Amino acid sequence: MSFKFTEDNLLEIERLKKRYPAPQALCLPSLWMAQYQEGYISLEAIDAISQVTTIPAMEIYRVATFYTMFHLEKSDKIEVDVCKTLSCKLCGSDEILKHLESKSDIKINHVECLGSCGTAPVMQINDKNYENLTNTKVDAILKEL
Amino acid sequence: MSQLVKLIIDGQDYEAEQDSLLIQLLIDKEIKVPYFCYHESLGADGNCRMCMVGIEGQKRPQIACDTLIKEGMIVNTKTDTIKQVHTDILELELINHPVDCPTCDQAGECSLQDFYMEYGLHSSKITIEEKVKHNKAIDLGSNVMLDQERCVLCARCTRFTDKITGTHELGIVGRGDEAKVTTMPNRPLSNPYAMNVVDLCPVGALTSKDFRFSQRVWLLESADGVCHGCAKNCSIIIDHNKLKYKDDTIYRFRPRRNDAINGFFICDTGRLSYRELQENRQETPLLDGVKISEDKAIEKAKELILLYKRNTSIIIDANLYTQEIEAIVAFAQEIGADVYAPLDIYRDEAFGDDMLRSSMRAANAQTIINMDINTQKPKKVGLILNFNHPEKFESAATINFLTHTRAETALTLPIATFTESSGSLTNEDGITQFSKKVIHKNIPVPTLIESLKRVSQ
Amino acid sequence: MRECQIVSRKFHIENACTLRVAKEHGAYNSLVKLKEYDPQHITQIIKESMLRGKGGGGAPAGMKWELMPLDDKKPNFLVVNCDESEPGTFKDRQIISKDPHLLIEGIILTCYAIKAKAAYIYIRGEYKEYQEILQNAIDEAYSAGLLKECDITIHRGAGAYICGEKSALLESMEGKRGHPRLKPKQKEPEWFFGNATLVNNVETIATVPFIVKNGADAYRAYGTEKSPGTLLFAMSGHINRPGVYEAEFGTNMLEYINHYGGGIKNGKKLKALIPGGVSCGVLTAKECEGLTLDYEALRSAGSSLGTGGMIVMDEDTNMLEALKNILEFYHEESCGQCTPCREGSGWSDKIVGRILEGNGTKEDLDKLFELADIMNGKTICVFAPSISTVLVSFISKFRDEFEAVVS
Ligand SMILES: Cc1cc2nc3c(=O)[nH]c(=O)nc-3n(C[C@H](O)[C@H](O)[C@H](O)COP(=O)(O)O)c2cc1C
Ligand code: SF4
Ligand code: SF4
Ligand code: SF4
Ligand code: FES
Ligand code: FES
Repeated sequence: MSFKFTEDNLLEIERLKKRYPAPQALCLPSLWMAQYQEGYISLEAIDAISQVTTIPAMEIYRVATFYTMFHLEKSDKIEVDVCKTLSCKLCGSDEILKHLESKSDIKINHVECLGSCGTAPVMQINDKNYENLTNTKVDAILKEL
Repeated sequence: MSQLVKLIIDGQDYEAEQDSLLIQLLIDKEIKVPYFCYHESLGADGNCRMCMVGIEGQKRPQIACDTLIKEGMIVNTKTDTIKQVHTDILELELINHPVDCPTCDQAGECSLQDFYMEYGLHSSKITIEEKVKHNKAIDLGSNVMLDQERCVLCARCTRFTDKITGTHELGIVGRGDEAKVTTMPNRPLSNPYAMNVVDLCPVGALTSKDFRFSQRVWLLESADGVCHGCAKNCSIIIDHNKLKYKDDTIYRFRPRRNDAINGFFICDTGRLSYRELQENRQETPLLDGVKISEDKAIEKAKELILLYKRNTSIIIDANLYTQEIEAIVAFAQEIGADVYAPLDIYRDEAFGDDMLRSSMRAANAQTIINMDINTQKPKKVGLILNFNHPEKFESAATINFLTHTRAETALTLPIATFTESSGSLTNEDGITQFSKKVIHKNIPVPTLIESLKRVSQ
Repeated sequence: MRECQIVSRKFHIENACTLRVAKEHGAYNSLVKLKEYDPQHITQIIKESMLRGKGGGGAPAGMKWELMPLDDKKPNFLVVNCDESEPGTFKDRQIISKDPHLLIEGIILTCYAIKAKAAYIYIRGEYKEYQEILQNAIDEAYSAGLLKECDITIHRGAGAYICGEKSALLESMEGKRGHPRLKPKQKEPEWFFGNATLVNNVETIATVPFIVKNGADAYRAYGTEKSPGTLLFAMSGHINRPGVYEAEFGTNMLEYINHYGGGIKNGKKLKALIPGGVSCGVLTAKECEGLTLDYEALRSAGSSLGTGGMIVMDEDTNMLEALKNILEFYHEESCGQCTPCREGSGWSDKIVGRILEGNGTKEDLDKLFELADIMNGKTICVFAPSISTVLVSFISKFRDEFEAVVS
C-alpha cells in the first residue's frame, strides 16, 4: 500500500511551505492532513511526510507517538474523548463515563482537560465539543451521530 | 586556542579552557560524578539530571554537562547536599528498573550498578507489580538486543544513529514513563556501525547478541590490539580468557579510543572479525592434503627452494606486520626471489565509506606501498612461496604459509595470526601502531618469522 | 466591584467575531498609532504599562519585547501561545472565538514593535472549532488589507500539555517532539529555527491594543501597583455560574466568586480552591478569606496566581481523589525527557493511588514529600516543580484526611 497526499493537500503543503522559514515546520500540519485523509497515520504516510519536511521518518514516527491526538492505527469505531480532569470530575464526569461504558460501537478515550472546564463535564467527538453533559444529553448526541 | 582559566573543584585548583564543558573536565580528572546521558562523542543532552554539582553563587545544584567553565568558578561535587541529590535521582532511575544484576549481561560494566553500589542504594521502594512493564528481549537488528525495562532513556543510542551514522533507525517514542527506545516497525537497526550502541549504552539495556551471556565480563582479560579488517587499522580492545582445560579464546573486540584514527567507534565487520580469526585455523603442516611433521615440512620446503633457485616468486599478504614483511623481503634477496604483494584482491568499493571503513581491505597495504613492493600479479614461475596472500597463482610448485585452512594440496606451513604475534602496521593515513601478542595458545603455532627462520637456516 | 472590559469588551456583542461587527465596535482603531510611533516607542508604552504576561508566569511583557534584536540581520518572529491546556483554564478560547479581531489587532501592533514579518498562533489541537472562527477572522483581515505588513499563520498542536511551555512549543513548531529546551544562562529571546522569537500568551497580545490606544496610564489605572491591569479570571468546579469574567488585579477573591460565580453550588460551603490552574498550590477556605487576586498576594499565601483559572471545591470534596486526579494529569502529560519528572510523576501517582485504595502507609506520605523534593529544582522545565507544589500543598494542608486512611 502506498500513500499519496491528495491534490488539495499538496497545494496546501506548497502554500504552507512559503509561510515558514524551514520545511520541518510542516511536520504537524502534514501529520494532520494525513490523518484526515486516511483516518490514521500509516507508515507510508510517515514516509511521505518525511519527504515533504526533510525530517527522517523515525523522527516523524516519534512525533506521531508524542501527541495524543494522532492515531497510528485505524479504528472503525467512533472515538469519544471524555475529559477526566479535575473540573470535569468535580462536575460528574465519572457518571458520564460510566454511562458511556455501557454503549457499544464507540471507543472511549479518557483525555485530559479540554479547555471547557466552565461548561463541564465535556466530551469531544470528531473535533466538536459537547458541553454541560448529562446522561440524556449524551444519548441524544450519540443517536444523532 | 581559547583562553585557559583557573577554577576550584572540591577545594583543589584546576586549569581548563574557558567555556569548555565542566563535565568533561570532571571526567578527565577522574572526579567522580554520576552521569548517564553525556558522552564525549555525542555531546550533552541534559536529560538524566544525574551530573548535578554545586556551583558557588547558584542557588540550586546545576548539571555539569550544561555548565561552561568560567574563571574563578568554585565547584563542589562532594557536599552532603550534592550527594543527596545524586542519591535521590539515582533512586528514581531505579524505580522502573528491574535491578536484577545477577542475571544481567552488563553486570560488571554498568554505570547504574556502579553508582547505586557507591551510593548504597539497594532496594527500590516500588513494588515489582507497580513497575512499568516493557518488553525485555527485543531484537533490534544488527546483533543488538534491547531490554526496555533496563533502559534509562539516556538517548545515547538514539543520538548515535541520529548524529554519528545519520541513519536514524533508533528513537524514543511515547512519552512520560511510557517512553521507550525502539525501531520503526519492520525497519531494523542496520548500519555498518550499529553495534557501537552496545558500548555506548551505560546500562545493560543494549547487549550484543554475539556476546550475550557467553562470558561474565569480570572473567575476561583485556588487551590492546589493532583491527585487521581494513586499511584503517582501528584501535581495539581484545577481550579474551583462558579457562581451565580450554585454550586462550577471544570473546569480543571492542573499540579502543584513538582520536587520531577511529575516535570512539569501530565498524561491525571489524568487531565481529574475531570469530573468523579463530575458526578453521591451519594448525599442522600439510603435504598434498596429508598431515606431516613440522621437521619434515621444513625439510621439504628447503628442498623446493633449492630446486627452484632463481625461479621463485614470493607473494605477501598485505595484512602482515611490517617486521614480517621486512623479514620476507630480506629472505627473498638471500634466495634471489621476486617479491609481489598483489593488492587488487583487497579492493572492495562497497565496503569503503566516509566514516571509518576503507575500501582497501588489507591492514598493512600502506607498508607494501611504502616499501615499493610490486603490487602486480606474479608471472608464471617454478616455485611460489605464498605468505598468507588470499589468492592462488599458477606455478610448478607452491609453499604456503597459512593462518587458516584452504582447499590446497601444496606444501603448507601453519603460521600464527596477528593476535598470536607482535608487530607494527601503518594505516592508509600513514599512522603506525604497534600490536602486541595477546593470545597464548596451549600449543602455539609458529609465527611467520619463526617459520621463515627455520626454512632459511 | 469595578467592571472591567479591557479584553472582554466585545464578548457579549453578537457576531463580534466578524470583521463588520468588530469594526462597528472599534476594532483596529489602535492601528492609527502606528503612523505616529516607531517600534521602540510601542515597546516603551508596553513597558510603562507594566503589562504582565497572562499565560501563567506573569513576566513583564515589555522586558521580553526589548530582548528582540531590531537590526534586521535576521527575521524576527512572533508566536502567540494558544495552547491553553492548564486544567481550569479556558480564557484564551473566549478571545479567539468571541473577539478574534482583537487578537489580530494585537498581533499587528506587536509585530510592528518587534519588527516581525510573520506571526504564528500555536493552538491546541482540541480547539478545532475555535480555530475555524479564528481562521475566518484572519481571512477577513487579509481581505480587508489589514495584514500587509505581517502574515499570520495558525499552527495546530495535537494533544500535549507540555507544548504550552514556550521552548517546547517552539520545538513542536520546528517539527519535533514537544521537549522543553535546556534553559539559557542569560536573558535572551526564544529561538525559532535560530531566529529571535517572542512568545506571548493570547490574552497578553489581546491586551496590547487597549494599551497602545489609551496609553500606559489607562492600563495602570486598573489593578494594584505591582500587578497592574486586569485578567480574564475564570471559575470552574463547584460553582453556580462557572465561566470567564474579567476583573482587575487586587480584586477580593471570595467577592469575585460570589459576585460573578453566584457562590458555591447547592448552597454548600467552600473547602478548597486552586487559584490558577492545577499547577498552583491548593488553598484552604480559610486561606481564601481576605485574599486578593494578584501575583503578590497569592505568592505570599504560598500559592501563585497562574492563569487565574480557579477551581472551586466544596465541603464534600475528597481531597485524596482530587490530588490523585491532578497527579494522573501530570503522569499522563510529562514529556518524559528528564529522569526526576518522568519517573517521579508516575511514582507519585502510583503511591497516592495506593493510599486511595486503602493500602497506603505513613511512610508513603513521607515518600511523597521526598519525591516532591527530588522533583523540585532539578529538572529541565518547571513542570516537575509544579507537581512538587501540588503534592506538598495538598498533603500538608489536608494532612488529617490523608492520615486517616494510611496505616
Ligand atoms: C508546563 C507549562 C505549560 C504552559 N502552558 C501554557 C499555555 O498553555 N499557554 C500559555 O500562554 N503559556 C503557557 N505556559 C507559559 C509559557 O511558557 C510562556 O511563559 C508564556 O506563553 C509566555 O507568554 P506570556 O508572558 O504572555 O504569559 C506554560 C508553561 C509551562 C511551564
Ligand atoms: S538503550 Fe541504553 S543507550 Fe539507549 S536510551 Fe536506553 S539506556 Fe540509553
Ligand atoms: S573500519 Fe576497518 S579497521 Fe576499523 S573496525 Fe572496521 S574493519 Fe576494522
Ligand atoms: S520536567 Fe518533565 S515536562 Fe519538563 S522537561 Fe523534564 S520530563 Fe519534560
Ligand atoms: S477539566 Fe474538563 S475541560 Fe477542563
Ligand atoms: S550527564 Fe548531565 S544530565 Fe545527564
